Amino acid sequence: MDLALAWRFTRRELRGGFKGFRVFLAALALGVAALATVGTVSADLLASLDRDARALLGGEAELRLFNRAFLAEERNWLEANSRRLSETAEMRAMARAGNGERRLVELKAVDTAYPLYGALELAPPTGGADALAEIDGRFGAAVESDLLERLGIAVGEEIRIGEQSFVVRATIAREPDRTASAFTFGPRVLIALDSLAGTGLDGPGSLVYRHVRVDLPEGESLAAWRERLDRAFPEAGWRVAGLDRAAPGVERFIRQVRLFMSLVGLTALLVGGVGVANGVAAHLESRRDTIATLKCLGASGGLVARIYFLQVLALATIGIAIGLAVGAAAPVLVAPFLSEAFNLDLGGAPALFPLLLAGLMGLLTAALFAFRPLARAQRLSAAGLFRGHLEQRRQRLPGWLWPAVIAAALLLAFLAIATHHDRLFAAGFVGGAVLVLAAFRLAATGVMGLAKRIPRPRRTTWRLALANLHRPGTPTPSVVISLGLGLTVLAAVALIQANISRQVLQEIPAEAPTFYFIDLQNEQVDRYDALVRAHPGVTDMNRVPMLRGRITAINGKSPEQLAIPPQVSWIFNSDRGLTWSRAQPEGVTLSGGEWWPADYAGPPLVSLDQELGQALGLKLGDTITVNVYGRDVTAAIASFRPIEWAELRINFVMIFSPGLLEGAPASHIATVRVDDANASALERQVTDAFPNVSAIRVADALSGFAELLDSIAAAVGGTGSVTVLAGLIVLAGAVAAGERRRRYDAVVLKVLGATRSLLLGSLALGFALLGLATAAIAAVLGSIAAAVILELVMEQEFTLLPGPLLWTLAAGLAVTLLFGLAGTVRALGARAAPLLRNE
Amino acid sequence: MIELSGVTLTLPSLAGPVEILRGIDLAVGAAESVALLGPSGSGKTSLLMVVAGLERATSGGIAVAGVDFAGKSEDALARLRRDAIGIVFQDFHLVPTMTALENVAVPLELAGRRDAFERAAAALGAVGLGHRLEHYPGQLSGGEQQRTALARALVVRPKLLLADEPTGNLDGATGEQVIDLLFSLAAEAGSTLLLITHDPALARRCRRQVRMADGRIVADSHSSARAAAAG
Repeated sequence: MDLALAWRFTRRELRGGFKGFRVFLAALALGVAALATVGTVSADLLASLDRDARALLGGEAELRLFNRAFLAEERNWLEANSRRLSETAEMRAMARAGNGERRLVELKAVDTAYPLYGALELAPPTGGADALAEIDGRFGAAVESDLLERLGIAVGEEIRIGEQSFVVRATIAREPDRTASAFTFGPRVLIALDSLAGTGLDGPGSLVYRHVRVDLPEGESLAAWRERLDRAFPEAGWRVAGLDRAAPGVERFIRQVRLFMSLVGLTALLVGGVGVANGVAAHLESRRDTIATLKCLGASGGLVARIYFLQVLALATIGIAIGLAVGAAAPVLVAPFLSEAFNLDLGGAPALFPLLLAGLMGLLTAALFAFRPLARAQRLSAAGLFRGHLEQRRQRLPGWLWPAVIAAALLLAFLAIATHHDRLFAAGFVGGAVLVLAAFRLAATGVMGLAKRIPRPRRTTWRLALANLHRPGTPTPSVVISLGLGLTVLAAVALIQANISRQVLQEIPAEAPTFYFIDLQNEQVDRYDALVRAHPGVTDMNRVPMLRGRITAINGKSPEQLAIPPQVSWIFNSDRGLTWSRAQPEGVTLSGGEWWPADYAGPPLVSLDQELGQALGLKLGDTITVNVYGRDVTAAIASFRPIEWAELRINFVMIFSPGLLEGAPASHIATVRVDDANASALERQVTDAFPNVSAIRVADALSGFAELLDSIAAAVGGTGSVTVLAGLIVLAGAVAAGERRRRYDAVVLKVLGATRSLLLGSLALGFALLGLATAAIAAVLGSIAAAVILELVMEQEFTLLPGPLLWTLAAGLAVTLLFGLAGTVRALGARAAPLLRNE
Repeated sequence: MIELSGVTLTLPSLAGPVEILRGIDLAVGAAESVALLGPSGSGKTSLLMVVAGLERATSGGIAVAGVDFAGKSEDALARLRRDAIGIVFQDFHLVPTMTALENVAVPLELAGRRDAFERAAAALGAVGLGHRLEHYPGQLSGGEQQRTALARALVVRPKLLLADEPTGNLDGATGEQVIDLLFSLAAEAGSTLLLITHDPALARRCRRQVRMADGRIVADSHSSARAAAAG
């Protein structure tokens, strides 16, 4: 009954329209839209990963072998135990055109059954098998159009890969099983599996991945099938993946990005919350007479609070609906771009859960920030009606306020944390956001206190400016909080971005080699060494044998039995490069143990990455078992080495003592540093002399990496700017709310003889001081946030770079001045008479 | 109807506590009409607020319509206003987003009366605004707004009608119409009337005049009449 009555009064209140609620609606809609968009788009991505799992995996199960081909008995078993299968091989190789141009490519050799799922789309449209088949003694190839540009050739012309020539018959429009990988070394080239042998690229020890994709026998589960497979070939050393791991890297990437972006979205919502609080407070202020009248007529404080709470809920529903509409439409709008980037079919119906979640979080935020002004309204004294002036006495706020605020805040935090897989990070972020919010509230109080305590300056401009910062009704707290949070995110993102690109683009290349040459065969190394040594401009060269192997046990325990910390789990996820060395390699220092003597011939020893050793709590003498070519070899740890992966030298987690691996078929990997003038000539000479060898130009790889970082940074910056935008909306609202008062002040001061330039100067100075103070605090907090994220989460070095911080300061100053003065010019032009008469 | 004994009101201010009321003793009987006179700042409005339960007295006893204010919660006093007290302001204080009809119906709705709108319409008819039911305050003249406020104050047939310079914002002729209405409706409802005014002519229409200065009652026609009768 009471609620029905409250709702009846609320409906009448809403007749006033939405004037005065624009900031409230915009701030809430923006925050909800950001959260909902991140939610629906990532849900769409994950759902289509699931939907397209067969196409992405290439079958219902995939076996991956490294460095060796499937044996006849293995293939026979797989053929007998599947409905159908397809085999492919992937490696890096050099593609050379007749004109002498060459380019590192990602080569993929496929059989005629490929692809089992999805379609290989070529231009001009041809069946994959036809495009690649041997016709008139010549094999075909399909390539990414990028390669044609790089080599300066067209469809119909020839390329050479290893020892084999191919006619480029088509370009690849879509490769169904290509998952978005963080970055690739070159454009894709598809050839027929039959033609691979002719290239001479699958020599012993070459870095070749071989895949067999199968459709499981009718009615058999992956687990059951796998058990039979393991029984038949216990030592095969292949990695088996099912539909649940069709694209684990992509899935992890999407989840990470979702985590980060939805937390930034949450920040935007929190900033919007400040706008909600301002909007509700301003509205209730304008309704003081109505509230007081209702109370005089016998309405209880509780009824008043309910009336306006329902009004806030009704308006919040509208703002949330706008945000959700954006979130629901987003997957459709971004589908074309993301489908391309992730090779997925996007654009399904928007997922309900992320929308519900965003809506609920929006509602909680609105309630959280509306409680305090509502509590004030409940306690508003009706006596003010008789006096015609503001009630300045402080009212004791009702007892429900703090429990309600705490409950809403906890529920909001719970939703933010519980719905993410990395709860620790989410919790850290939420805690950090609360601290930053509290810090800015405190800072606002500090700024006001300082402005009050500074001895009164002699210049009128300064005196008025300082007074504007602290007197009753000042926008200082709103401006500091709304702008401050946004600028903090901006400063943190800018600093992280600048630090990473500095490390990738400036610090590394100074020490990095010019080229990596991979897949050198044993019998080629002497000739290779002689060629490079004789080449002009070479300043440094290094070459080591390399095998691939997987860690199968540590101290006799398999990885499944070990508690592996996440930062070293990558070491166990797949094959690792292994090498052996008689002497302690140049530049390698030991942090524990000793290097074996040059003539060592005892039981196998290994020198291990210090980080892995520490993470697993290993000590000298512990054993590591590695599966190499299907054979388990066990070595005792003789020493630990710190490894700086960022130096881009040839580095291995494990270096073995001589005597264990020499016999195994290894390829060699070499680095060369050569001056720019001679680099291309060296690449040409090496790849001409050894067609099977691939040259990786570090600068190309790094620029690819830098592009990737740039696009991630752009996405992160884009999300971050949503927070800034939310801050600007709130800021505009806060400044506009003070306009009436500024106009009145300006009129009174003009009547008393103040010039317009004095008024403008004092207002500009006030806003400039406020902007600078806010930006300075944001720069400090942003730096702390960036340092924490870089050092603790990303494990990168943090350097305080002045550039991004200066930008933050400039942005804060510019924005407050712009918004502040925009609302002031009108105030200065106000005519005195009407205002004075009304008062 | 009103029993005040030794009522004081002290409010804090930036310059220190200010004594607004300094010991008010006042008894007003049922259906009596009392004019409250006095210069600005003498405490008239504060006294009215204390009687309406909108301001808590610092000390002293207050009872209105048989309800002792001691120990009553804010909401209990709100219910008392809803059921027994009507207030008319100088500035009308109609809710701008409600029609005249809805404005008048508010106290009835708060009391949970099912016939709120019928009675509100009748009350507006009684003040001559039967044709203005669906108009918003902004569409009404000052006199019409005050007549609406009058209808709202009297629609519950309050035992006590408080009026704070009800004609202060109206021109002479309109003000007189409103005052005529106020007296006739209050008489019809049997309401006690406590009216603040600066207008001696208006004050004379009340049966009793109480004059205030500096937070005290300095003259009361009732007691002087009694004194005269006794003497």
